[in-house]
Amino acid sequence: MIKTAFKLLFIFSFWLMTLCSLAARAADVVDDPTALVREQDPGQRLQVTDPYLEMHTGAGRAYPVFFVVPRGQGVWILLRHTDWYKVLTEEGKQGWVNRDQLATTLTASGAQKTFRDLMLDDYLNRKVQLGAAWGEFKNEPMLKIFTSYRLSETLSVEGTLGQVQGVFSGTNIWHINIISEPWSDQRISPFFGIGLGKFSNLPNQSLVGAAPTNAQLGDATFGVRYYLNDRFILRADYSIYTAFVSSQRSIEYRAATAGISFFF
Amino acid sequence: MPTTPSFIARIVVLSLFAALPCFAMAAGDPPAVGDATTTADQNQIVVPEVTRRDIEPPQFPSNDFDVGAYFGTYSTQNFGASGVVGLRMGYNITEDFFVQGVLARTKVSDKNYRQILPGGVFPTETERLSYYNLSAGYNLLPGEVFVGTRYAMPFHFYLLAGVGSTRLDNQKHATVNFGSGMRLFFTDRFSMQVDARDHVFSMDLLGKRERTQNLEFTVGLTASFF
Repeated sequence: MIKTAFKLLFIFSFWLMTLCSLAARAADVVDDPTALVREQDPGQRLQVTDPYLEMHTGAGRAYPVFFVVPRGQGVWILLRHTDWYKVLTEEGKQGWVNRDQLATTLTASGAQKTFRDLMLDDYLNRKVQLGAAWGEFKNEPMLKIFTSYRLSETLSVEGTLGQVQGVFSGTNIWHINIISEPWSDQRISPFFGIGLGKFSNLPNQSLVGAAPTNAQLGDATFGVRYYLNDRFILRADYSIYTAFVSSQRSIEYRAATAGISFFF
Repeated sequence: MPTTPSFIARIVVLSLFAALPCFAMAAGDPPAVGDATTTADQNQIVVPEVTRRDIEPPQFPSNDFDVGAYFGTYSTQNFGASGVVGLRMGYNITEDFFVQGVLARTKVSDKNYRQILPGGVFPTETERLSYYNLSAGYNLLPGEVFVGTRYAMPFHFYLLAGVGSTRLDNQKHATVNFGSGMRLFFTDRFSMQVDARDHVFSMDLLGKRERTQNLEFTVGLTASFF
């Protein structure tokens, strides 16, 4: 009974939220378009130095251009979505402009704060990476998800969550590695890493009497990254894993994977 | 099987190799700055007095990150369908590509089997099934939908596929998921997602190991921020 009430409440609140968002949408369409312009900080006003800005109806190249802002006019930036900026003109029109068109646009005081700098800074400062890879772990298929944080130009920390689905058992592993990437400014860049983690092997239910294994894990990795563009990276790696099953015994595995990752 | 000490020795050697380029770089660094400043102080006639301007770099609000909740129906092969609730986190990399992580749970019941098999398949009649996955998506058909004559809302049809894990009856199963969905933006920060996916994993609960197709249909609300 309580569960049903909870479910109904959940569904009810869902539709309530939907209605609220729709109401917010309706409120967005203002009768006085210059009201928002008057609220803006004059110091944040940008002057268009490109021949013109094309304003799209949405944050994407395919959305139609509905307005053009000529050179010399002032605009404000309200929001960014990926490479698109939501721009407000002096007449109160709102639309989405691609970063490329705003590259040389200056602030009102003529200060050298350009978007091009921002882009380059972004690229050199990109630190957090997330990716997934697929490969083989002792002749069985392996999937892994990894995230890394760049501490300095050549050094980063990487956390990996992996699973191996074998015919007779499944293995989950996680480990944290220190990665050295000596030529990180190169497009094709090798890296080396060592790390520690945990290994757990769970036999399939159909195997009678098989016990799960939990062990500490050590690993050493060698791999190559290929920087596709400023956001995406391809990578291939080869790892040696050692599971310290007991004080007397360790098991060694080798794994090779290939995957893709991106910078936030 | 190698013994532990030999492996540790190997790791040490490998790590030394890994660290070598760092040592090489450290050796190649220019001399310490201290030497340069002392000579400059001795030779400099005019000391420039330039006050540093405080520049405030513009900070634009953005909405690349998504957080949302959803509910719907999850159908477990051989066991029927039941309600599913989940949480979703996403990040829009470019206007075309996004990644999405999902955490959800549903229930699986072996009630139908208990009518002929008194023991049932599971220890209890209803077992929890939970899954997580990480998927990459592509906004295939971006566009707009129109409500009356006053409103136009951005709208995407997207494809996505990913990997993850499903937990059922204390067994974890490596899972591949793929599907498609639609996303309607009410405002810049709120959107609704309707999503249909197939979760594929192998299990041997019914004696034989076989690949199962588990279809899921969900509706959710998503907030975008940062």
